[in-house]
Formats: sequence, structure tokens, C-alpha cells
Amino acid sequence: MALPRAQAAAVLISVAGIGISIYLTALHFAGVVPACPASGAINCEAVLSSPYAVLGGSSIPTSALGIGWFAVSAAVWTRPPGSVHLAWSALGLVAVLGLVFVEIVLLGVICLWCTGAHALVLALMVIALATRT
Amino acid sequence: MSAKRAAPARKQPMRKKVAGTPSWVAPAAVVAGVALLVATFLIIRWYLTPAAPAPLGSDTTSAVVTQITTLPASEFDSVGQGTANNLLKPVTGTPMTGVTGKPEVLYIGAEFCPYCAAQRWALIVALSRFGTFTGLKTTSSSSSDIYPNTPTFTFHGATYTSQYIDFRAVETSDRGQKPLETPTAAEQQLWTKYDPTGSIPFVDFGNRYAFSGATFSPDLLGGASWQAIADELRDPKSAQALAIVGSANLITAAICKMTSDQPAAVCSSSTIQDLEKKLG
Repeated sequence: MALPRAQAAAVLISVAGIGISIYLTALHFAGVVPACPASGAINCEAVLSSPYAVLGGSSIPTSALGIGWFAVSAAVWTRPPGSVHLAWSALGLVAVLGLVFVEIVLLGVICLWCTGAHALVLALMVIALATRT
Repeated sequence: MSAKRAAPARKQPMRKKVAGTPSWVAPAAVVAGVALLVATFLIIRWYLTPAAPAPLGSDTTSAVVTQITTLPASEFDSVGQGTANNLLKPVTGTPMTGVTGKPEVLYIGAEFCPYCAAQRWALIVALSRFGTFTGLKTTSSSSSDIYPNTPTFTFHGATYTSQYIDFRAVETSDRGQKPLETPTAAEQQLWTKYDPTGSIPFVDFGNRYAFSGATFSPDLLGGASWQAIADELRDPKSAQALAIVGSANLITAAICKMTSDQPAAVCSSSTIQDLEKKLG
């Protein structure tokens, strides 16, 4: 049976989030060299090579958590909307706000790929709120 | 046990249906809340960013430049590679020569870039072992980028003379990101070839070695004055010396490879010889 439109959109958004998170994780393990893009202040390398790009001093990149979160989200959204969807999205949004704080206040620089993933989490929160029963 | 009597069906009281909150209100409120928080973060960032330090006068600049370009050989030997990351990669291409026909070191960077700001210290220290800079001016990296206002010098308007190498510097933008200098088509081609992402700083050592990025974090220089950094370079145990002098030693080793180990006074030291072997 086909999923209702909002659910299907949420699953697709989650899959897109998995893709971005895998890309950022791969970049991390490929060894990001801190450098500036020649064109401006938006700087993924600066964010990904900062101490905040890993979990508590480990070698696990923050983006690896993103893979897990979006994977659970994709699974959750195959079920009809409910309080679990809302709670999971809220958890993601709180994490995103923390990461945005790090980017803007502590680092003073934005990573567009990270911002893309953050926007997807916000979109999932919006869908969860709009479809709640 | 007696059977329960079925309760009489009660008629629901008539109640006027109250219009609920429209379904779009909660999502819109969340989006607005997130936007408000982001705006707050931006204001906090603006408030916390320190003012850019005023550039030094020419006399003071000369004194600082003299101090960092006359470090004793023992300082270089004590530090070795220090804490600098070896980002230099061997490259293969037509050996690059400069305007006077000597092997050329090409630097492409920008005044706004904090990584360029950090790396310039090491470049000046290393290149000064092979020649002389004139016209270096102090500046600092952008106030609105990561590691804001990192103190440094600019190569824009400076000249370099050496009997061993040519040095070509291209500062593509000023600290406000306005265009400043443009690489030639050949330089642009090299830059793209060795660093397809087009990151800065980019440094090519005569087409024998090249690297992009900074070999140490600009964080080490944040909030310090030019004079304070210059003073720290005299202490081989300081964090700044371990990073800047360590990076300068790596650069020196790459240049010595270009010049066939000339001058011997610089290139024959065991520190540089060891680093040359590391570079491959």
C-alpha cells in the first residue's frame, strides 16, 4: 500500500539526510585539511576540521550521529504519524539548534552541507507537527 | 453475582462546536522560533567578536619583521618539525621558474583568510632564510570568518629578492573580500590541477611540492599582538614557535630540494636534511 503523501515525503527527506550525513562522514575520514574557500566565508572545511566536528574528543564525527538519526527517522515515518514521530523530530531539532549555535557563535562560520541536513530536520519537525493526530 | 444493568443511553448535551487552532499554526511557530534563535545567535556572535587590531606603523612593522627573520639557527634546530602538520605533497610537472629564471615558490591566498594569515608567518620566516622581503605590512584576517582578526602580514605590495629563488605571491582579495590580485592563467591552471577544490592558501614549490591549507591552527595566534608572537618565536618551547618555526622548517626543506641544497648554511643542517627525507 502506498504511503500517504506527507509520510512518503518524510521518508524521502530522511533518506536525503542519510545521504548528506554519509557524505560529511566520508569527508571527515578522508582527512579534511583546514583551508579557506577562495570565494567567501561559507566554509565547510573549517567546520569539519574544528574540534566540535567529533564527539567528545573521540574520532567519531558528529555527522555519524546524523546517519543514525535519519535512519531511525526513515524507519519511524513508515508508520502512521503519532507522538513518536513528534518526539523523535523534537530530539533532532534540539541537536540541530546546538550545532547551529556552535557554527554561528563558537566558530563564526557556516557549512552549507551541514545547513542542508539541519533544514531537513526542521522539515521533518514541520511534517510531524502538521500530521499529528 | 447479579448482572449489571445496562446504563440508560444518555443523550450527549448539545454543544456548540468550537473552532480548533488551525493546523498550520504549530509548524509556523516552530519555524519562527528557529529563525528567532538563529538571529539571536548572530547577535551574540557580533557582540563577542573582538575589534580588529590597528595595523602597526612602518617602523614597528620593520622591527617585528626583523625580529622574525633573524631567528638563530639553533632555534630552527631545536624546534624541528615542531607541531606543524606536513601537508606538502610531491607533485610532478614542468619545473617552475620565476621572472628571473630561478626556481619559483608560488603562493595564492587572500587577506581575509585566517589560514593564509597563519601560514604567512611561516612563509616569511622560511623565505627569509633564502632572501629578503621589503614592504611587508601588517594586517589581520576577516572579522567575520572563523578565527577572526588573526594577526598577520600581507604580501600585497611587498617585494622579495633572493639569489636562489623567485617568490610570486597572489593575494586574491583584501580582508573585506574585495578583489585584489589575479593569478595568471598558468598559475590558475596549476592551482586547479593540484587543488581541484580551489582552497587557499595554496603554495607550489617549483612544481616539486605543493600544499593547500594551513600547517597549524590560526587559533594559536588569536588575540595576540604581532610583537607578542614575534617574542614567542624566540622561545623554542612556545606553542607559537613549535607551530610557526616547525612549519618554516618544512617549507625550508622543500625549498632546499628546489635549490639543490643551496645555501649550504641553511640546507645542510641535520634538521633540514631529515625533513627533506620526510618530504620524499
